[in-house]
Amino acid sequence: MSHLPALVDGFLTTLALVALSFTGAFALGLVVVVLRIGPLGVLRAVGTGYVETFQNIPLLVWLVLFVFGLPEVGVRFPLFTTAVVVISLYEAAYVAEALRSGVNTVAQGQGEAARALGLTFGQTLRHVVVPQAARRVVQPLGNIGIALTMNTSLAAVAGVVELTASANRVNLVEALPIPIFVGAGLCYALLAAGIGGLAGLLERRLAT
Amino acid sequence: MRWTTLSVVVLLVVAGCSGGESSVPGTAPTSGIDALVAKAPVAADLPAGSTMARIRQRGELLVGGSLDAPLLSQQDPGTGRLTGFDADLGKLLAKYILGEPKTRLVTATSETREPLLANGTVDVVLQTYTITPQRAERVAFAGPYYSSGQAIAVRRGTGGIAKPADLAGHKVIAGANTPSIAAVKAAAPTAEIVEFGSDPECLTALRQGRGEAYVQDQALLIADAAQDKDLQLVGEPFTTDPYGIGLKHGDDQFKQFVNDWLREIQKSGLWQDVWRGSIGTVVAGDPPAPPVIGSAQGS
Repeated sequence: MSHLPALVDGFLTTLALVALSFTGAFALGLVVVVLRIGPLGVLRAVGTGYVETFQNIPLLVWLVLFVFGLPEVGVRFPLFTTAVVVISLYEAAYVAEALRSGVNTVAQGQGEAARALGLTFGQTLRHVVVPQAARRVVQPLGNIGIALTMNTSLAAVAGVVELTASANRVNLVEALPIPIFVGAGLCYALLAAGIGGLAGLLERRLAT
Repeated sequence: MRWTTLSVVVLLVVAGCSGGESSVPGTAPTSGIDALVAKAPVAADLPAGSTMARIRQRGELLVGGSLDAPLLSQQDPGTGRLTGFDADLGKLLAKYILGEPKTRLVTATSETREPLLANGTVDVVLQTYTITPQRAERVAFAGPYYSSGQAIAVRRGTGGIAKPADLAGHKVIAGANTPSIAAVKAAAPTAEIVEFGSDPECLTALRQGRGEAYVQDQALLIADAAQDKDLQLVGEPFTTDPYGIGLKHGDDQFKQFVNDWLREIQKSGLWQDVWRGSIGTVVAGDPPAPPVIGSAQGS
């Protein structure tokens, strides 16, 4: 159990990866979804292009490309930053789709009515669409958060010593893979349960 | 790049070369291990009910190993052939048990080696498996069959790193799940370790400035340096890693058997021939004296 600090460090790194990447993915996802549902055809195409690009290429490929490809053209970020950026970019596509599905649940007539009453596109979103869509996307977003948490384990490939990488390191010394990885698995489960609980709480809040 | 190394290995084995003089990269479609297998010994009667007898009955030896370790156990995707020191020893062990070099490789990783042995998915693990007392509590080790050491490489022209202690405070690249990580921690606790999954990734990272030094098995580094003139080895190996053949824990009869086989091929010079055909293609000089069986703590 002398390895506990190493595992705790790994867990904290995973937590930081999750928090930063999800924040980034949410912010970027918001932008992308506004592009996708906006009135301008060009911007809609850009939004669609973004989602298709990031959803149809595996995260691992993106990570390798960013970690080893970018330095070749003279751009070198620290590994942790690279991992956060890549996971954010990737998950933003999923966030955007979840948000779009939420927006689509609001009947089109409501938007048309709002515009007919003289509200701008922005006002329509803010006062009519978003309040209704928000509570419907909480659970899908929670699921994306959980998926993102699991995906952070790929950052080990990019040299970030998060939970999976530190479990690997400890196992190399202790040769006890089953207890070590069961422990790491429980940590991930705990994180997932936390995110799920948070989503449930948020949903109830937004419902009132 | 790696393939050139491989071709060198193959070429030298085919040429039945003696000595470790460097050779020009070339291509040769077949492997000279066949010649070694032909003269390799076969065990006499196997005790009924023993692990060896069961393997002979099955008709193939299940080996846990790697497909991507240059000079040790690497598969040529073109031909499907497995070459390298560990791979060749696996074939010789299969010949010893079965009378023919029939092995089946089960890809193992550092997370799966112990369970694979414990639940009988593989008969032996031949995978730069460093013998340690902790590991010896879960698996049995025959050998050591090879003694390796971690060495330091830098980009040519990097100053200030001449010995392991100089790594302190530097960013040091190491292969994920390799003994290098522990070696660096022991030699320079304040070094920041950056790890990548494979040797080519580590080299790329070093070239791209993700770290100032790269710590890896010396034989591998020598092979890398032969390909990449920008890579420079610093000093001599600073650790001793005795590699063992992993066996099921408690199977003393099989361990005894494998140890007897190792002693036999060491004495007959077969071990040295295998070394010449793999690691010896990049390390100059004669084969080292093989490690004494049972000399490592845990073997």
